[in-house]
Amino acid sequence: MLASWMLAQSDYPIPMTNLTLGHYLFVAAAMFAIGLIGFLTRRNLIIMFLCTELMFQAAGIALVAFSRYHLNHTGETFVIFVLTVAAAEAAMALALVVLLFRRRESLSAEEWGQMKG
Amino acid sequence: MTMQSMHDKILELWPELVLFAGTCVVMVMGLSPKLAVRRMCAPVAGAALAVAGVLAALTTPEGRGLLPGLMPFAKVVVSVVGLAMLLLLDGTVDRTEERLIASGQPFNPLRTNRAEFYAFFLFSLTGLMLCASANDLIWLFLALELTSLPTYIMVTISRGGKAGARSQEAGVKYFFLGAMGAATFLFGFALLYGATGTTNLQAMKEFFAHAGEGGGITDLAIAGMLMSLLGVAFKIAAVPMHLYTPDVYEGAAAPVSAFLAFTPKTAGFISMILLCSTMGWTHGAGHSLPDLVRLLLWVMAALTMTVGNVLAILQSNVKRMLAYSSVAHSGYMLVALVAGPGSGRGITDNGLAAILFYLLSYGLMNLGAFAVLACLERRPGPDGEYREIETVDDLRGLCKTQPALGWTMVVCALSLLGFPPLLGFFAKVPLFTSAIAAGEIVLVVILGVNAAIAAYYYLRLVAMPLLEEPDATLPPAARTPFVSRPLAAFISAASVVVLVAFAGTLMREAGEAAKPPKATGHSNAAK
Repeated sequence: MLASWMLAQSDYPIPMTNLTLGHYLFVAAAMFAIGLIGFLTRRNLIIMFLCTELMFQAAGIALVAFSRYHLNHTGETFVIFVLTVAAAEAAMALALVVLLFRRRESLSAEEWGQMKG
Repeated sequence: MTMQSMHDKILELWPELVLFAGTCVVMVMGLSPKLAVRRMCAPVAGAALAVAGVLAALTTPEGRGLLPGLMPFAKVVVSVVGLAMLLLLDGTVDRTEERLIASGQPFNPLRTNRAEFYAFFLFSLTGLMLCASANDLIWLFLALELTSLPTYIMVTISRGGKAGARSQEAGVKYFFLGAMGAATFLFGFALLYGATGTTNLQAMKEFFAHAGEGGGITDLAIAGMLMSLLGVAFKIAAVPMHLYTPDVYEGAAAPVSAFLAFTPKTAGFISMILLCSTMGWTHGAGHSLPDLVRLLLWVMAALTMTVGNVLAILQSNVKRMLAYSSVAHSGYMLVALVAGPGSGRGITDNGLAAILFYLLSYGLMNLGAFAVLACLERRPGPDGEYREIETVDDLRGLCKTQPALGWTMVVCALSLLGFPPLLGFFAKVPLFTSAIAAGEIVLVVILGVNAAIAAYYYLRLVAMPLLEEPDATLPPAARTPFVSRPLAAFISAASVVVLVAFAGTLMREAGEAAKPPKATGHSNAAK
């Protein structure tokens, strides 16, 4: 259905029609990589949490792009569930950050260094 | 999904539905101002688990998925080990709180954790059962998250007072690394969906089998599978995703550490088996995983065993030692995963059956070792805090001061070591035989060497209670005042010995659980 829509419009110069699946995947992969690098290098718990969130949303972009590519709704459905889980994780992350701040008055992951090994 | 297939799917989910109902009841009961009602949390949770186990054994219909026999076996194992763990959880949270209430302070529902603790315990086991029922990537993702999210909170709230700082540190580490692991396998799932256009595992398998006719295993699919397996490796604490293990196991209260060693690990292995089954492993055709996937699992298995065992030797804290040993045991099971199901006839050459049987045995014997730690404590010092028994030296002469607990530790450590004729030995044999049957001789050699390294530190756990004299300078360790904790310890020690008599039956059941799907005309055409 979508393919036929694109054929029908093909006489007109539509901006951004050159966007392909590859572009979306590139953005997704870049976001995932940025999230991963940030997670491994930054020490502020809120930044670290945002980095994991970035990784989750990168997967979301990939899912939506694939969903459009395959012309089915499975990927989009998946994203709804991913958002729900991400919200649950956000609630937990913030609770843990508040716990840390109450105990140490700092947001740095370095403050959690009692156990070593 | 049509109405009919939805109806069929719900028929497979009675155990999970019962567990969920139990969770809701427990969550409310734990907030009651009446102590008698609050105390009923554990019995209600136990009843839900028992009913779920019976339902899993009786009502699970003949499956059609990738591993048709998996569901009843996995769910019964979960409910049996879950019941034993429930006994151990008694008194983990709210100990100080209950004492204050007993001394006349009014009950404040905001300050108690009992309801959440038992509810999250049941939630996590529900997620684990759902992993076994998974037939879809979305389902698998949600089930894995349902297994993990409650455990983060259980770790964080598992200790109070001063020790709370350590359990909170453990909780933060576990949660953040867990979120990274989850994001990794989620991205892997997205790539798998992109490569196949479906999230249904059965449909994915058929897509991968039709090479050249609009299907087949593309590079994208391989990348997705590698990322999925790496992300799920966090759940089983396999190298390189094992870094959190020692800190989390040390920081959490011993009953929760025991829970962590079983629940996420089982969920992770079941997911790995399901994921790998989509890409290869036609029963009877040797290993047919793509080379890169097989290589990843191979390297992971070898590194996980070796790193886990070598680092375990260096530990003086029993919980850290058991944490690294839990890493090593994941490595042993990965060997069987590399071996794959072989001809799928029996457990001796079916690696998947070997994993399932090992998960049950490991869950029981590891529970025993942690239970001994949970049963003992040092009397409060001047600060009024109870201290857990943690170092290997604390176990000195335990067989003389606390004979029953001392012998439990001896039996469980010997079983973890794989000493014949205990359950751990009979669990380890199929790992070896399935790997040999698959021709993985190098891995078998590494496995053998590692089993020998492991003897070094497990024998310390045997010798300390058995051969050494109690330390006269320290006050002797006392029992914690919870009756059901020693019960959990004795049950697991007894099962390590008694289940040997039923090892044949259990192995046959595990073999049934990992039996190949019935050959249909469709999948024959795929070959």
